[in-house]
Amino acid sequence: MNDTTGGERPRIVMTGAGKRYDALQVFCDIDLDVGEREVLAIIGPSGCGKTTLLRCIDGLLALSAGEIRIEGERMVAPREGVAMVFQHFGLFPWKTVFQNVAYGLKLAGCPKAEISARVPKYINLVGLAGFEGYYPYQISGGMQQRCGLARALSVEPRVLLMDEPFGAVDAQTREILQFELLRIWEMRPTTMVFVTHSIDEAVLMGDRVMVLQGRPSRVHEIIAVDLPRPRDRATLAMPRFAALRERVWGALMDDARRAEFEVKR
Amino acid sequence: MSPGARWSRHAPVVVSLLAGAALWELSAHFTTRAFWAPLSETLASLVASARSGVLMRQATSSLGLYLSGLTVAILVGAPFGVLLARVRALRIALENYIMMLYATPMVALIPFILSMMGFGFAPKVLVVFLFAVFPIVYNTVEGARSIRPELIEVARAFRSSEWRLWCDVMIPYTLPFAMTGIRQAIARGLVGMVAAEFFLSPSGLGQMIMMGSQNFDTPGLLAAILLIVVLGVCLMDLGRYLERRFAAWRAYEC
Ligand SMILES: Nc1ncnc2c1ncn2[C@@H]1O[C@H](COP(=O)(O)OP(=O)(O)O)[C@@H](O)[C@H]1O
Ligand SMILES: [Mg+2]
Repeated sequence: MNDTTGGERPRIVMTGAGKRYDALQVFCDIDLDVGEREVLAIIGPSGCGKTTLLRCIDGLLALSAGEIRIEGERMVAPREGVAMVFQHFGLFPWKTVFQNVAYGLKLAGCPKAEISARVPKYINLVGLAGFEGYYPYQISGGMQQRCGLARALSVEPRVLLMDEPFGAVDAQTREILQFELLRIWEMRPTTMVFVTHSIDEAVLMGDRVMVLQGRPSRVHEIIAVDLPRPRDRATLAMPRFAALRERVWGALMDDARRAEFEVKR
Repeated sequence: MSPGARWSRHAPVVVSLLAGAALWELSAHFTTRAFWAPLSETLASLVASARSGVLMRQATSSLGLYLSGLTVAILVGAPFGVLLARVRALRIALENYIMMLYATPMVALIPFILSMMGFGFAPKVLVVFLFAVFPIVYNTVEGARSIRPELIEVARAFRSSEWRLWCDVMIPYTLPFAMTGIRQAIARGLVGMVAAEFFLSPSGLGQMIMMGSQNFDTPGLLAAILLIVVLGVCLMDLGRYLERRFAAWRAYEC
């Protein structure tokens, strides 16, 4: 079993977690705890089951082996206190920014007065003030994901699940959003599981980086990221950052090279 | 837009309409009155029947029939379409019949409806309904089926109940597709209306056309046709407006 950082109580506990779709075993034997104020970055080649694992953590999908508990409760269905940010944003195109952010609160049965107080707060937090009345198709991809982030944050989750949240935006916007997210997390640190396939992003965000590898995917290595927080642009220039980057790269590459030169039969 | 720009945009339309009117007027002087009358006489006949109250009565009767059939088609077609999209077994069972009926020229069914139901108001509403309902069902099914599974996943992740899923996701997503069907139904329903008025008990604008034809009242005949044309154009515009009004976000999808 892997220790969580800082000796806190774990908020997410995975034991022997495995998932198969009919003939395809996606991942197996995942044992891991995630602490209360920890950011776990998960990295692995595309198709290795990162999204599937995140869905299982959220309770959207049932595991086929082992179990995942959040705050001691077994995840068999989505529950209060856990929110997800989607790679494809998942905004409702017929709703405005305001209505999209209010969606989670509305479903949670939040009274109208509280919704109209809370939504602007989170719209401001993600820097979308002034765009409340816009529809998703009228704003850029980066702004759409800010909206998706505000929607997840507005329910004040204790666990934030991020599925390659910045994978669909351009490189520059991606950097901006990474630092915004670090700033927001710093204001209210919670448990975060951050899936990515960018090495830099994994090292920048995570307290630990979990490298998934193999077929089916297993935990290949867990790399503790001992970079100081708060992290910002200066973090990228640290020699320690470069060293950790190399370590993650090394862990990923033995497999990636094998995969690239694999002959299809 | 400056007055000059507006003029240069609308000028071709105005000119072409005026030219069409002039051609109509003039051509009547070179053809026989048995099947063609000048525009001026047609308009005069229109005014006369409007004065006598006949026009109002017949138009009201037609519109009543049309709106009844169309309303029933919308109320039945859209929910039925969503139901078919959601209940797979039902869709597979009925798909072929719907395709067959969608492809059938509905006029072919009119003699059958006549022998089944006779000459009342109900069989005529049924005809308008049959003309209008299939595009609505068809487009609604296609729309509801194409719903992005990610959006349903978002709803589930936020712990939506099935009922809220329908209100928040299924219905808003399907609405623009249903509107496309309704736009087509608006046009087809009008054809159904005239067909019902011809082939079942004569009434409304269809009856005006038939009487004009039987009495060799060519201006009266053309007046009724002109009215139906204008009605059709207005309804098509209304349909397009409604579709655009509800489909703004679909630009985002493709
Ligand atoms: N609903 C499903 N049914 C069957 N196979 C699936 C399903 N969803 C994903 N997969 C497969 O599972 C594997 C992992 O997918 P995914 O979790 O999306 O990977 P990642 O997010 O790491 O790119 C892929 O090979 C994918 O084709
Ligand atoms: Mg993925």
